[in-house]
Amino acid sequence: MKKILTIIKAFWQRALTYRFTIFAYRVGEMGEVAVLVLMWSAIYGGQHTISGLTLKEMITYVLIGNIFYVMIRNFLASLVAGDIKDGNLSMALVRPMSYFSFIISREIGRISVATIMSILSQAVVILFFAGSFIWNFNILRILLIAAMVILAFITELLLSYLVGLIAFWVDETDGLYATIERVKKFFSGGYFPISLLPLAFVKVSFLLPFAYSFFVPAQIYLNKMSLMAGVKGLLVQIVWIAALYGIIKIVWNRGLKRYEGVGI
Amino acid sequence: MPIIEAKSLSKKYEFYRKQRGFAGSLKSLFYRKKLYSEAVKDISFKVEPGELVGFLGPNGAGKTTTLKMLSGILQPSGGSAQVLGFDPSKREPAYQKQFALVTGQKNQLIKDLPAIETFIVNKEIYEIPDKEFNETLEELINVFDIKDILDIQVRKLSLGQRMKCELVSALLHRPKVLFLDEPTIGLDVVAQKNIRDFIKKYNQKYKTTVILTSHYMEDIKELCQRVVIVNLGKIIYDGKLEDLIKKYAPHKLLKITFSENGIKKEEAQRFGEVDDFTPYSCTIKTSREKAKEVAVALLSSNLPVDDIVIDEADVDDVIRHIFKP
Ligand SMILES: Nc1ncnc2c1ncn2[C@@H]1O[C@H](COP(=O)(O)OP(=O)(O)OP(=O)(O)O)[C@@H](O)[C@H]1O
Ligand SMILES: [Mg+2]
Repeated sequence: MKKILTIIKAFWQRALTYRFTIFAYRVGEMGEVAVLVLMWSAIYGGQHTISGLTLKEMITYVLIGNIFYVMIRNFLASLVAGDIKDGNLSMALVRPMSYFSFIISREIGRISVATIMSILSQAVVILFFAGSFIWNFNILRILLIAAMVILAFITELLLSYLVGLIAFWVDETDGLYATIERVKKFFSGGYFPISLLPLAFVKVSFLLPFAYSFFVPAQIYLNKMSLMAGVKGLLVQIVWIAALYGIIKIVWNRGLKRYEGVGI
Repeated sequence: MPIIEAKSLSKKYEFYRKQRGFAGSLKSLFYRKKLYSEAVKDISFKVEPGELVGFLGPNGAGKTTTLKMLSGILQPSGGSAQVLGFDPSKREPAYQKQFALVTGQKNQLIKDLPAIETFIVNKEIYEIPDKEFNETLEELINVFDIKDILDIQVRKLSLGQRMKCELVSALLHRPKVLFLDEPTIGLDVVAQKNIRDFIKKYNQKYKTTVILTSHYMEDIKELCQRVVIVNLGKIIYDGKLEDLIKKYAPHKLLKITFSENGIKKEEAQRFGEVDDFTPYSCTIKTSREKAKEVAVALLSSNLPVDDIVIDEADVDDVIRHIFKP
């Protein structure tokens, strides 16, 4: 455990040396969310509701959803891919700590600065649009959302790690990763609420892990989903975490065989 | 009991030839011919505890590949290795805590942080007790004289300073076996000498077993009593450096200086093959047995000989001679 904390601390410090770059990215993020809010206002025009959401609810969806999004996301895939391609993995393999624990701790340390800044900057955006934001202080819902966000964070880390491992087989991964990111964001409801899509699609989404990092917690916040449905969601997440962990084990072992054979 | 033993160690890399252009890439999606490159072929050697062995060989000879197999990074495709009683390819933490691999090409230090932060991370990863860590660190800091650079971001350090820190971070857990892959690459002569002196001192003091690869003959000459020469994946020589010279350089060099008006080249050529000729100095190559005779003949001739030094052939020359295709 101390190993992990030390690594997190070191990479947290490292991230701090880039605080201005990190801050600059946040400005862009804030702008993006603000544009989304303005866009939805324009789309609604005179309409009262779109797919059961009032404009106020839609704006709240965008604002609260993006808070979840910045809490949950990571950049692990390209980090792992880089290590594999540059051969840094070799140096990690000679150390008495698994690469998985090392790189996960490293990523948590690395993103924590960005995550905190993002949460603060998204909070600023919410304050800016406070007039259109719906507050919900229901303690049960908040607890449920907290659990869901934590599980989504873990799911997302595992998923990114898995995607990163593709670099064992594919040389050029950047474009692929960007595409995967977009697909994930689409399925998560990050572009628009997936309830706008056909019901069958929504049903499938509930079985996939992505919706739990944006759409579902946002719906719970908006009282559009029952607590029971939320708890079911937690179970789906737990199953996914177990499955991803298993898949990672298999893929890692096969990838490593290749790394040892090909030398990459 | 040898501390490192390689038995018929071999490594075949699998790889695919990349076809050029877009059409080629498309084709390779469906069909790729598997190719093999035999980087290491049937290498066997033993290293006794405390030895400092130099691996020598031209680019692509298989030195790095061998070290990677000994560190457990690569799985051998044939034969086996044993280090400290472990099979490296199993990557057991008990083994990993007892050896270190340092390469001049791959850095371990966290670039954006001062080196001390990497040291602290390594302390945890290797589970080094506080007391031992502090003692070792203090000692290494003194030997390397890096007190002043510990708090500077690694990317702002010079290559030589960085290499010192790399070594320190690899030595914190007091490895019993040390693999050094071109630790002096790219360093200036002074920095090279620093690193060299340190390796020597360290090996003598802690009796650490070291395998070192380098393209700089100075490193090998100064550090290694024993050299293993690898070429095209095979060991072509394993023994003492002096014996190598005797074996592969049947000639000696007479380095002669002349006084007065100097001499003509033809006059020198009567005594043997002439090199580096100027009217005032030259080198004459003679066979090992005849060196003395020739020297005497030179002195008793009418040439204005000022001084004669009988020298062994240069190791560089010998090596160059061996590697000549
Ligand atoms: N990943 C790889 N895939 C295919 N072939 C490889 C791979 N890595 C190395 N080789 C080949 O294996 C051979 C040995 O390489 P190696 O790196 O062990 O040589 P070396 O002795 O360390 O050379 P150098 O002095 O240049 O560092 C070379 O012919 C090289 O082309
Ligand atoms: Mg090499």
